[in-house]
Amino acid sequence: MCDHSKNIYLPHLATIAEIRDETPDVRSLKLVFQDEQVRENFTFRAGQFAEYSAFGAGESTFCIASSPTRKGYIECCFRGVGRVTEALRGLEVGETVGVRGPYGNSFPIEEFEGKSLVFVAGGIALPPLRTVIWNCLDLRDRFKDITIVYGARTESDLVYKDELKEWEERGDVTLVKTVDPGGNSPSWDGRVGFVPTILGEAAPTAANTVALVCGPPIMIKFTLPVLEKLGFTGDAIYTTLENRMKCGLGKCGRCNVGNVYVCKDGPVFTAAQVKAMPQEF
Amino acid sequence: MPKTITEQNLHVLIDTLIKEGKRVVGPKAASAMTLYAPLAKGDELALAGLPRRSAKETFFPLCENILSFAKDKEGVKVSDIDPASFPETVLIGARPCDAAAPGILDAVFSWDYHDEFYLARRRKSTIIGLACTTADDACFCGAVGLSPGDPAGSDLFLTPLAGGGFACQTVTEKGEVLLARYPQLFAETATVTSLPQARPQGGKLDLTKIKSWLDGNFENPLWEEIAAICAGCGSCAFLCPACHCFDIVDEGTETRGVRRKHWDACGFGKFTDHASGHNPRDVQNKRYRNRIMHKFKYYHDKFGKTLCTGCGRCIRACPVGIDIAAILTAIGTGDQGPGTGKD
Repeated sequence: MCDHSKNIYLPHLATIAEIRDETPDVRSLKLVFQDEQVRENFTFRAGQFAEYSAFGAGESTFCIASSPTRKGYIECCFRGVGRVTEALRGLEVGETVGVRGPYGNSFPIEEFEGKSLVFVAGGIALPPLRTVIWNCLDLRDRFKDITIVYGARTESDLVYKDELKEWEERGDVTLVKTVDPGGNSPSWDGRVGFVPTILGEAAPTAANTVALVCGPPIMIKFTLPVLEKLGFTGDAIYTTLENRMKCGLGKCGRCNVGNVYVCKDGPVFTAAQVKAMPQEF
Repeated sequence: MPKTITEQNLHVLIDTLIKEGKRVVGPKAASAMTLYAPLAKGDELALAGLPRRSAKETFFPLCENILSFAKDKEGVKVSDIDPASFPETVLIGARPCDAAAPGILDAVFSWDYHDEFYLARRRKSTIIGLACTTADDACFCGAVGLSPGDPAGSDLFLTPLAGGGFACQTVTEKGEVLLARYPQLFAETATVTSLPQARPQGGKLDLTKIKSWLDGNFENPLWEEIAAICAGCGSCAFLCPACHCFDIVDEGTETRGVRRKHWDACGFGKFTDHASGHNPRDVQNKRYRNRIMHKFKYYHDKFGKTLCTGCGRCIRACPVGIDIAAILTAIGTGDQGPGTGKD
């Protein structure tokens, strides 16, 4: 009855298989497609996004936060701040959401092979990098050093706390976690300071290294000069732009930055590409 | 020999098409204005003047269902909307500025992902255009490369004749098919005298020059100056035959409802507002800049076309008197006024 090739706005139906509260207002959903064919054939690349719907409330845009190397399900992570995200937060395990996608471009992971990787993320912006982190960790021998610098305002704002621990305990990943000054409890065992500062102190080498940065605009603004100072060129720094979107298909007209459609030409861009855009994001 | 059709036979044509089950859309009197609307009979056709709204909703409705859903204990069931259910449509009496717009919009609705809600309607439509013999102060189709007698986008094109009736020009195969089906309604007339065409305002704009100015002037005081008075009402976008931005919303309850696609406007503050509160186009001048850039640069960069047909509706409707033709003329002639920093 439903023809996805004819109706590009038609979502796939997925069941919530697992709910995890990352912070008091940030939630992860693990979703399993209800249609067996979709479950088997749905493929995506790290960095791509989808339109998730809570029926009756509408659609919202988030990245696919799980790794394409993990088959059979996808995950998303969002903060409950609006009508749709609050409705998604109101759903329970076993209930149905809609998923349209995957859309947009992706991180060129094949090009990263043989290189070291530095991930820099702030707050709720870890999910778009977490897909790449797990993708690369699942193919660990193809990459050299992997460093993750992740910070949030407070300890409780850190997402994927169990995975941070897992990465910390792995011998093949360097995790530098930090919270903003004042955001730590007495028992905090990480760093205290803003992400750009902590990144500068960690000083990863730029030689044969790619940096992947995702965070609020203010964090990105202060992180790029630090990376440049460390010797990273604009082509070796990747980020994702998270503009408001509706269709995800290059039609509804709201996610453009100049003549660049984030939903079609992005969401993944190099810092050099971002620099060449009109500064309207 | 040129084909001609009398006004009376045009009404017969409409009645015949309706009887065959087709949807016939044309200018129709609606209280204080004329609007493109489905006609119930031929003599409803009201050809004087330019309809208040464009004809784009014939292909791209102001609001339409894109799916429906129902939720019960078993889960959610989604029902598709079948584009095959859209009626065969004849748009009749479309002015050149309205007839040309769908051909421009085809690009955005068919690149990569195909929006069948728009494209199926397009495929199932025939456009009978109509030359303009009058223009008002806001008309500027000539400035953007069209003309009051331009058949671009029409399948059949009518030109009003001095003695009444219309000369009928076949523009496409679709038009030829329509004409061939109703030979009795058309006559062959040896010589015809067309009414003089309308003269829209202004000269031809140098769109290349305008685009090259836009290429280099994302930052320019002009934007603030124009938008200082823009109320962000969105009237320009809603009346525009070429504006295509839309929103997608759910209506109903969580157990039963529809998902709808409806027109939106880049002039609205919420249009680009992130859930976080961050808004890339946080002030009106950035929104107005996007409107001009989208029409005369971005769309051109992407699809090689200008997203404006010079209908002038945005000028007529603007509550604060913003005149896009004047702005373009200023940009095109290199006289951007005091806002450019020139003395």
